[in-house]
Amino acid sequence: MSGSRSKSVVIWAFVLAAIAMLSAPTIVVLGASFTAGNMIEFPPQGFSLKWYSAILSATDLRDAFFRSVYVAALNTIIAIPIGTLAGIALAKYKVRLENTIQVYLLLPFTIPLIGSGIGLMLVFGNAGALGQLWPVAIACCVINLPFMIWAVTASASNLSNDLELAAANCGAPPVQTFLYITLPAVLPGVITGSLLMFILGLNEFLVSLLLVDARSVTLPVQIYNSIRSIITPDLAAISVVFIVCAGVAVTLLDRLVGLDIFLKSK
Amino acid sequence: MTFGDFQAVKDTSFDLPKGKFLTILGPSGSGKTTLLRLIAGFEKPTVGEIFINGQPVNAVPPYKRAIGMVFQKLALFPHMTAAENVAFPLKMRRHDARNIGKQVERYLELVKLGGYGTRRIHELSGGQQQRVAIARALVFEPDLLLLDEPLAALDVKLREEMQLEFRRIQKELGVTTINVTHDQREALVVSDEIIIMNDGAIQQKAQPVRAYRAPENPFVAHFIGVTNFIEAVAVSANGSTVTLTCKGRELVGVLAAGSAGLAQAARCTCAIRAEQVRIAPSQDRLGKLETQVRGQVNDAIFEGERIVYEIKVAELGDVLMKVFDHDPVGHLQFGPGDIVHLGWNAKDLHVFAK
Ligand SMILES: Nc1ncnc2c1ncn2[C@@H]1O[C@H](COP(=O)(O)OP(=O)(O)O)[C@@H](O)[C@H]1O
Ligand SMILES: [Mg+2]
Repeated sequence: MSGSRSKSVVIWAFVLAAIAMLSAPTIVVLGASFTAGNMIEFPPQGFSLKWYSAILSATDLRDAFFRSVYVAALNTIIAIPIGTLAGIALAKYKVRLENTIQVYLLLPFTIPLIGSGIGLMLVFGNAGALGQLWPVAIACCVINLPFMIWAVTASASNLSNDLELAAANCGAPPVQTFLYITLPAVLPGVITGSLLMFILGLNEFLVSLLLVDARSVTLPVQIYNSIRSIITPDLAAISVVFIVCAGVAVTLLDRLVGLDIFLKSK
Repeated sequence: MTFGDFQAVKDTSFDLPKGKFLTILGPSGSGKTTLLRLIAGFEKPTVGEIFINGQPVNAVPPYKRAIGMVFQKLALFPHMTAAENVAFPLKMRRHDARNIGKQVERYLELVKLGGYGTRRIHELSGGQQQRVAIARALVFEPDLLLLDEPLAALDVKLREEMQLEFRRIQKELGVTTINVTHDQREALVVSDEIIIMNDGAIQQKAQPVRAYRAPENPFVAHFIGVTNFIEAVAVSANGSTVTLTCKGRELVGVLAAGSAGLAQAARCTCAIRAEQVRIAPSQDRLGKLETQVRGQVNDAIFEGERIVYEIKVAELGDVLMKVFDHDPVGHLQFGPGDIVHLGWNAKDLHVFAK
C-alpha cells in the first residue's frame, strides 16, 4: 500500500516537473505580455493590456501576422489534394518506388531545415520569385507534406478493401466509389493532416527567413528581426496571439478527430 | 482462377436455375470466396466464361452487374446510417429519387428493421448489421444474391435464426441465391441444392438429402455428417451391391454413385454414418442388422441430446468407430472398457473405389 503510494508520488512529481518545463516558456511570454512597464520582464510589472492595443496599431506586426496566416492557408490548400491522394495510394496500392517514397517521408527528421531551405532559396531565386509569399507557402508544403501523407495513410490503412468492392457491387463506378466511400473513410486523416499543415505553416521560421525579403516577412521572421533591435513587450503580446491561434487549431483538431491518434501510432 | 502459379479455383462448371437457393460448402481455403468474387466480377477468370441470364459477363465490370452481395465481414459503410446504406445501391443505380425512401423502408421492414433506419451502423447489434447488409444487397432487386459466409461470426443461436431468416426472405422474393459456407448444417438447412468444394474443385452437386444420403466420394462423406471409414478389398459385385473383405471379415455395401465399376481385388474405402450404426450390450439386441461386429468402448462423450461412443473394433483392424446413441433416456450407458456389439445395414455402407 505505502509502496504504491510512494510510487504514485514519484510519478506525479515527474508529471508536474514535465508540465512545468513544457509550459514555462508560454507562461513567461503570457505574463510578460501583460506588463505595465516598458521592458519585457518576468514576473511582469503591474498589469495592463496596453501592449495588446499597441500591436493593433503596429501595422508591421499585424501585416506579418496576416502574411503568416496566408502562407499557412495556401500551404494547406496545396497539401490537401496532393497529400490525400498520395496517402491513399501509399496505403492501398502497390506503388512503384515505394521505398524511395518512404525515405522522402522521413526527410523532415533527417535533412537539416537549413539545407532544404537553401535549396529552395536557390530554386525560387533562379525563378525570380523571391520576395513573394507563394514560394514560402510552396516551400512549407514541400517540407511538411510528409506529415499530411502520414495522417491520411494512417486512416486509409484502416479502410477495408471490401468496402470499395461493396460499393462497386452496389453499382458505384470507380469515381463514385472514391467520392462516396473512400474519401469519407479517410476524412479524419485529411482533417488531421490539414490542421497539422496549417499549424506547421503558421510557425515556419527558418525556411521563411531564407525566402522572404522586407516586403514579405512572415510573423516569426518579423519577431526575430525585432528582437535583434529592441525587445519591447509588444513582441510578447503578438507571440501570445500567435500561440492562441495555434491553440485554436489544436482544439479544433481535438474536437473533430481526437488528439489520441497522435499519441498512439496507427 | 489462378493467382501467380496457384490455382485457387480449378475446372469448375455448374448452372443454377432461376429462383433456386444454392449453397457452396467447403472447408476454408477451398476457393469459395474466390468463386463468388469471380461471379461478382471482382476477379477476372484466367480461363473460362461466366453467364448470367444467358449473357456472358466476363467483360462486364462489377458495378454494371445486377448482383447483390453480402460480404463475409459485411462491409457496411460506417459513415452512413442503416437507411443510407440501403439507399446507396438505389442512388448509384439512378432509381427515381422520389421512390427511394419508400423502397428503403420496404426492405428494412422485410428484414424486420422497420424504424431502425436512422441508426448508425455501430449502434446496431451484430444480428441487426447482418440484416442491414441483406437489405442493401436486395433493395435493387438483383438477378442474383451472393452470400459469403455472412453468418460465420455469429453465435450459434443467432446463426440458426438467421439461416431460417435467409430462407424466408429468399422464398418471399424468389431471388436466385448462391450462399457460401463451411457449416454443413447451414448447407443442409437452407439450400435447394448443395455444391461441395475442396481444393478449388467441385466434389459433388446434389440436393441436401442426396448429398447426405448418397455421397459420391470419401471427401463428401467425411465433410458432411460424422462418418466412419473402413479400408477394404472388393471380392465380388452384383449390380451396385459389393462384397468386400477387411482383415478376413466379410462386409457388404453399396457402390457409391461416383465410383463406376470395381475391379476384383480393388482397394476400396467404405463409409458409414455414426447414426446408422446401432450399439447394444449383446448380439441378440441388434435384431436383424445385416453386419454385426464386436468392439470395446474407448471413450464415451456426453453431448446432451446424444452420447458419442468411440469404439475400437479389433475384427476390422482396430479401426476406431464413432457411434451415436440417440436415446439416452433410461437407456444403458457404456463406459470405457465395456465390450459392446455394433450392427448396421448393408445399404448404409457406401463403397468408394480408390
Ligand atoms: N488474391 C489472392 N492471391 C493469392 N492467393 C489467393 C488470393 N485470394 C485467395 N487466394 C488463395 O486461394 C485459396 C482459396 O481462397 P478462398 O477463395 O478465400 O477460400 P475460402 O473462401 O473457401 O476459404 C486460398 O488458398 C487462398 O490463399
Ligand atoms: Mg472465404
